[in-house]
Amino acid sequence: MVVLILVIGGIASGKRSYVRSLGYGDHEMSGELGAPAPVLLDLDELLRAGALDSDSWQTLQRKQVICCCEVGQGVVPLDGNERAWRELVGRTCSRLATEASCVIRMVCGIPTVLKQTRSEGA
Amino acid sequence: MNVLVTGGSASGKSLYAEQLACHLSPTRIYLATMSPEGHEAQRRIARHRAQRADGGFATIECNGTLPRCRFDGVVLLDDLGNLVAQALFAQDGAMADPSSVLDRLDREVAGLFGHADHVVVVGNEVGAEGRSLYAGTRTWVELMGSLACKTAARADAVVEVTAGIPCLLKGALPC
Repeated sequence: MVVLILVIGGIASGKRSYVRSLGYGDHEMSGELGAPAPVLLDLDELLRAGALDSDSWQTLQRKQVICCCEVGQGVVPLDGNERAWRELVGRTCSRLATEASCVIRMVCGIPTVLKQTRSEGA
Repeated sequence: MNVLVTGGSASGKSLYAEQLACHLSPTRIYLATMSPEGHEAQRRIARHRAQRADGGFATIECNGTLPRCRFDGVVLLDDLGNLVAQALFAQDGAMADPSSVLDRLDREVAGLFGHADHVVVVGNEVGAEGRSLYAGTRTWVELMGSLACKTAARADAVVEVTAGIPCLLKGALPC
């Protein structure tokens, strides 16, 4: 089990504000995978840009918090690339959620705990 | 009390919000936000009017701005999506400055919360459909999300409705 918090939610649902409430400053958040920041933002954008490969998983696992936009609701797009991207985001989040100790879904700035695993020794 | 009711399209959020409003006070004001253009809009307006017919709501039309007067009883604002769209897009399709629209609407919602006995605001969950949106739609989604977060922070209770079933996200409800 990785000590990782996965924060998901729609556009402008309050993901970043929630991460700030956990005590992280803006300088500790980055949308670049290779950055030393403990918080990774906009995983969906990284996946869209094709910035992740098979070696990226270990880098993801070393993050403390990962934020990703929920993109799978609504109508399945006609465009094949859009479909592939939504599929990739959904599968990646599902896999991260399996490994994460905590999964949070944001709605209107309010966190709902989808998964909470007690850490060892707690 | 001030309540935000959110949910996806046709999730039953308007019906739930109306039932909640009816429970809160016998004096009811409905702030209508939908632009009555096109057959589909007319049908939806007719359906919502029929839904409210027994509720005894007095209707006030909003055109991208909220009234600033004092209200006795309960005010039902349905919904943020149309309010933001009307505030953001002019008739000729030009777009207003999003951050100033957000500031203004946030102030107006705060004012409404302070000037009525009870307020029920209906929001829309539309931000989880990906980023392949037109630029204008994208701005609208972002603006509505931000306004919903601010409104939720001010509200005493927040409810998400799915398949007609209310799920409490914040606070407590009277019914």
